[in-house]
Amino acid sequence: MIRYIFLMMLLGGFLMGGSAYAKIVGPEKSSVEQVASETRVYEVFGMDCPGCHGGVEKLLKKIAAVQSVEANWKKKILMVTVKPGETLNDEDVYEAIRLANFSPGKRLQ
Amino acid sequence: MGRTVDRYTVNTVIAYGVRRNITLILKQPIMHQEMIMAGSKSTNTGLSDLLFSTKYGIYRRNTPQYTLGISAILGLEFPTGMNVFSKDTWNMHPGVYVSWRSGNWGSDFNIAYAWNGFADKGRGGMNPGHQVSLDVSLAHQFSFGAKARKTVAPVLEVSYKHIFADRLQGQTVANTGESVLYISPGVKVTLSSLILELLVQIPAWQDQEGTQLKRSIAPMVGLRYMF
Repeated sequence: MIRYIFLMMLLGGFLMGGSAYAKIVGPEKSSVEQVASETRVYEVFGMDCPGCHGGVEKLLKKIAAVQSVEANWKKKILMVTVKPGETLNDEDVYEAIRLANFSPGKRLQ
Repeated sequence: MGRTVDRYTVNTVIAYGVRRNITLILKQPIMHQEMIMAGSKSTNTGLSDLLFSTKYGIYRRNTPQYTLGISAILGLEFPTGMNVFSKDTWNMHPGVYVSWRSGNWGSDFNIAYAWNGFADKGRGGMNPGHQVSLDVSLAHQFSFGAKARKTVAPVLEVSYKHIFADRLQGQTVANTGESVLYISPGVKVTLSSLILELLVQIPAWQDQEGTQLKRSIAPMVGLRYMF
């Protein structure tokens, strides 16, 4: 009888410890999620010197979803970083490029 | 005649893009002149006339291989300069500007007309002669750094200027009017929105009416800020 009770207590202990362990390292997700910012690269035609950067960068920065922008006339590209959690419409970027008197090409990245 | 005149010019320019194809340009030359006449030397330093221009983009084609732009320019020159440097009249400057860029190469062509004294007369009631000028330039850019924010470009400019003689009461005024062909080597340094240009104007050929002084080699410095 005593052996039976002891075995039952041992089994109960395993069951309780096991469930506690499952709570700590179970398959549930972490409550804190990291949102990474996205960087896109667009082709831009018409920039021919460093002086061209300022105008197009200023226009892109007016778009609410844009965190930062960097133009490179030599590589004919525009690197746009999107604010975390925001949605950036490619058409808004193309329109800003046209307003700067340049022509958008493809989105490279 | 024992006269020599050495003239140096610093052109300060501010350009502002109002719309995608409209740029406002303000140019204020600062001049320094040394004249030696009959053994006596005089020196003057001061502002020349202020020029306010509007550049309107008529046509622009941007491709992966090249960019071609054609613009019309209309400028108004105010007689605000120091006496020795001022034309003393209100002058209008219409012109056409064509630019072509491909990779690191760039070429500009400009044809301009200066309608001097369109609204008034000059000193002594004279109608100042108008001016026609043609300019062609070629440059090659060398960039520095991965972000290419700084460039240095050697430049070669060839300019032809013809100034018509002044007229007074319908008659041509003697010793006015000239034609000059300049060859101007130089360098252009671009630091983001600030551009520094150094040119040395060399009169390769010239023809002045009467006893006017010949043009001599003249260095020019330009500072341009674009915003």
